[in-house]
Amino acid sequence: MKENILIIGGGIAGLEAAGQLLKLGYNPIIVEKSDHLGGHVADWNRLFPDMSPAEDLVSRLIAASSEANIFLNTEISFVNRLKDSWNIMLSNGISIITRILLFATGFTLFDASKKEEYGYGVYNQVMTNSDLEHWFNTGQDERIPEEGPAAMGFVHCVGSRDEKARNPQCSKVCCITAVKQAIEMKQKFPEAMIYCFYMDLRMFGKKYEDFYISAQKDYGIRFIRGRVSEVSENIEGKLVVKAEDTLSGKPVKVTLDLLVLMSGIVCNQQTCKTAGLLSLPIDSDGFLKSRDNIADITEAPREGIFYAGTCTGPKTVPETLAEARSAALEIHNYILNGM
Amino acid sequence: MRERFLTGYNDFVLPFMIGMIFILSYCAISLVRIIMQLPKEDRKKFFISLVTPKTIAKNIRDIFCDCLFHVKLWKRNKLLGYMHSSIAFGWFMLIVIGHIEVLFYVPHRAKLFYFPIFFRYFVAETESTMKGAFFFFLMDFFLLMVLSGIALAMIKRLQSRLFGMRRTTNPSFLDLIGLYSLWAIFPLRLIAEGFTADISGGSFLTKSLNHVLNSFLSDHTNMLPAWWAYSCALGVFFIVLPFTRYMHIPAEMLLIPLRNAGIKIRHARKGLAKAQVYACPSCGLCIDACPMGVMKTHIKDTTVYLNRQIRRNNEARIEEISDKCLLCGKCTAVCPVGVEGDKLRIAQRSIRRYAINQDYSNISAQMLPISPGNISPAAVSAPESAATVKNGGKVLYYAGCMTALTPVIRKSMESILTKAGVDYELMDKDGGLCCGRPMMMAGRFDQARQMVEKNTEIIMNSGADTLLLTCPICYRIFKEKYDLKGIEIIHHTQYIDRLIRSGMLRVDKDTTRYVFHDPCELGRGCGVYEEPREVLSCAGELVEATKNRKESICCGGSLGSLSLGFDKRKSMTENALANLMAGAPDIIVTACPLCRSTFNRYADRPVEDIAEIIDRKCVTSAAGPASLNPGGSN
Repeated sequence: MKENILIIGGGIAGLEAAGQLLKLGYNPIIVEKSDHLGGHVADWNRLFPDMSPAEDLVSRLIAASSEANIFLNTEISFVNRLKDSWNIMLSNGISIITRILLFATGFTLFDASKKEEYGYGVYNQVMTNSDLEHWFNTGQDERIPEEGPAAMGFVHCVGSRDEKARNPQCSKVCCITAVKQAIEMKQKFPEAMIYCFYMDLRMFGKKYEDFYISAQKDYGIRFIRGRVSEVSENIEGKLVVKAEDTLSGKPVKVTLDLLVLMSGIVCNQQTCKTAGLLSLPIDSDGFLKSRDNIADITEAPREGIFYAGTCTGPKTVPETLAEARSAALEIHNYILNGM
Repeated sequence: MRERFLTGYNDFVLPFMIGMIFILSYCAISLVRIIMQLPKEDRKKFFISLVTPKTIAKNIRDIFCDCLFHVKLWKRNKLLGYMHSSIAFGWFMLIVIGHIEVLFYVPHRAKLFYFPIFFRYFVAETESTMKGAFFFFLMDFFLLMVLSGIALAMIKRLQSRLFGMRRTTNPSFLDLIGLYSLWAIFPLRLIAEGFTADISGGSFLTKSLNHVLNSFLSDHTNMLPAWWAYSCALGVFFIVLPFTRYMHIPAEMLLIPLRNAGIKIRHARKGLAKAQVYACPSCGLCIDACPMGVMKTHIKDTTVYLNRQIRRNNEARIEEISDKCLLCGKCTAVCPVGVEGDKLRIAQRSIRRYAINQDYSNISAQMLPISPGNISPAAVSAPESAATVKNGGKVLYYAGCMTALTPVIRKSMESILTKAGVDYELMDKDGGLCCGRPMMMAGRFDQARQMVEKNTEIIMNSGADTLLLTCPICYRIFKEKYDLKGIEIIHHTQYIDRLIRSGMLRVDKDTTRYVFHDPCELGRGCGVYEEPREVLSCAGELVEATKNRKESICCGGSLGSLSLGFDKRKSMTENALANLMAGAPDIIVTACPLCRSTFNRYADRPVEDIAEIIDRKCVTSAAGPASLNPGGSN
């Protein structure tokens, strides 16, 4: 009989791991709380640095894992510990007995309205990175004028590296996402003036630096080093953004038609709840705690439980996929040695 | 009645006399020093108040209520109140009756200090006379009262929870000596008087004890050691008193007239500040009150320890304690003697020497968006325009820095003003000056004054007659430090309440449960408690927090603290939130932008400003914009 492996989360990590486990001859079962597979990446339009469509990646992953049992709109209700396995009760009434669990629960996007000073939900011209991707996908958002914004801005690190917002960690992907989105906007609206307000630019990945240089040289995007202090509205309904340019040491004030907030990656509260059912520890940054943050990042401190992707901290797409494969291999070894 | 000794003297009075003379001269010198330390105009004010009948009456009433009856403690906890007032009032009555007895029986001895104290030793009296029985009974009654208080004090050392105190102060070494000598005084007096009761007379307590003592110590010569011990206990208590917390007894009697004279803290260590520090009885009520108390490590940063360190001149700790405080003012609100913990700390900050002192004098009011040169002529001539507020003038709305960081409050407030048809102008729409309160809190009075002066110039030239504020931090300094003649300063909770009362704003009521968090600066700072509650009752069901109004717990986000980190503040915020949950509210409401954003980070349910709720729930009134003169353009 094929070994059951329960994968919690049908995002790219869950899908990739399921695909690999199928190839290794196991029976992965994916439990996904939303009504679609692919997680956050499925809502994205194009991925840096090659501008490849997110849809392609997601459909490739879904195709590779189509043999797996997949439950959409399903959550874990409760867990019973058996002698050497778990009996997992799902919200749709199905119960699964498994020795192996893989957490691929991902992250939540920081709620930008918690940073009141940026006026998300207060002003009509303020949106998040996710809203902008949604517009790239659907073309529907009344916050973006048809003729395009004459001037717009991107605010980096919204709810990342921010002790006040309870998230001291760097979300890793927002710097490059902002550069990518700025370029995309400039491609759509060549006349628009685009500003990026950043603390640091962390261009660590493959071709990121080229991307950033190109944004400055080829697209004329203005990078201002300094945090936005406050956002207000003038009589014409335009946004007045105040910030400090820490390179010139001067306060700046710009009038914009659109402001995009780079909401960061924060831990998924629901993951913490599920982790609580299995008495798994949470790390000091709020994400799941691995057995070892260097050598065993995909393994939980408890036997038979594995992690993949952003449930252990912010990661890029290629990192997540690599981790999913690595987790699948760990599971394979665990089954071979455990039997 | 007969005097037992012709000389009216025995050597055992010496310890008492030495202690008494020492403490009286110490107090007299301190009194003169504190009064001399007051600034000249304050000193004049103080002397005038001492001869003004109204303040004389108030002083006497306060001294009786606070020093003897401990009314504030009674209100807090009956047992605690009884313990303190039984000792204070009982002792006071023993002294008074002792003097009355001397004046009655042996007026020629009245000039002897010790005579009323040791009266029973020197004078024999029979209880066969009415007078004798009466005084004997009174003396024993009050002695019993004091003894019951002492017994409670001993229990309190072991079980402070019975007295409504979760934590209490750690006494210093000298405090303990004072404490033990105080505890010893009255039992020793009982024993001493018990020995003499069959000679000098006594009542239910002393007489009964006398029978017990006589049964095994029948020799009267044993009485002298008892009287010696009683005198020594008194002597020790008086000698250590200036160096212990018991200095609060004389200091409070000075603090009350100083306070009633309207004197404020002008110097960190001198004058009123000194009187307050010495008036601190180290009772430790401020320990439970302090919002930092959720973490045990901060217990020694409370006001009672600040006072102790100031008395010891421990500069490093004074600086640490003063900088850490959130300045929420709760210790001041609960203090039974009126030590102003927050103001005392600000005063300590003000004597700090900073490497850099900012100078804002180059900011010209003309540069600011709303300034004498920039205001439209219509606005200047506002008083004659047909505005809709009942006092007829224009409203100047100063949002302030904190509201600029929570734009939803400003937007809601502007929307309410528009819906009510109020003619208003935003003072800091496109940048403005800080109100000065943060500088004030940091003890940088010069910088604060510069801002106050510039803002005053702008406001006085605006032609408005109402200044509206949505931030209690600004509201407080505008109320306390600004001199804006003819302009009413009003917080938005009060203004919205007024709009609803006058019918300019109609609010739909539903079943949403609201809890109101009293912001420190609005509640304790300015005494505004009723209006926000009135307003919320119009919008839904108002539930109360466990600790509210004067006892409300700081949200932890206060600007007051100069050194507390986010990790420390977090547990305070969580504690304050838990306090608000008592009535299972749907929405947490506050009236301070800083409280709102602090709570919003940790709350599990919506946190909103009162303006947001009213803006959402109000229906445009019939008499609204239709009758409004549009913009007053003619």
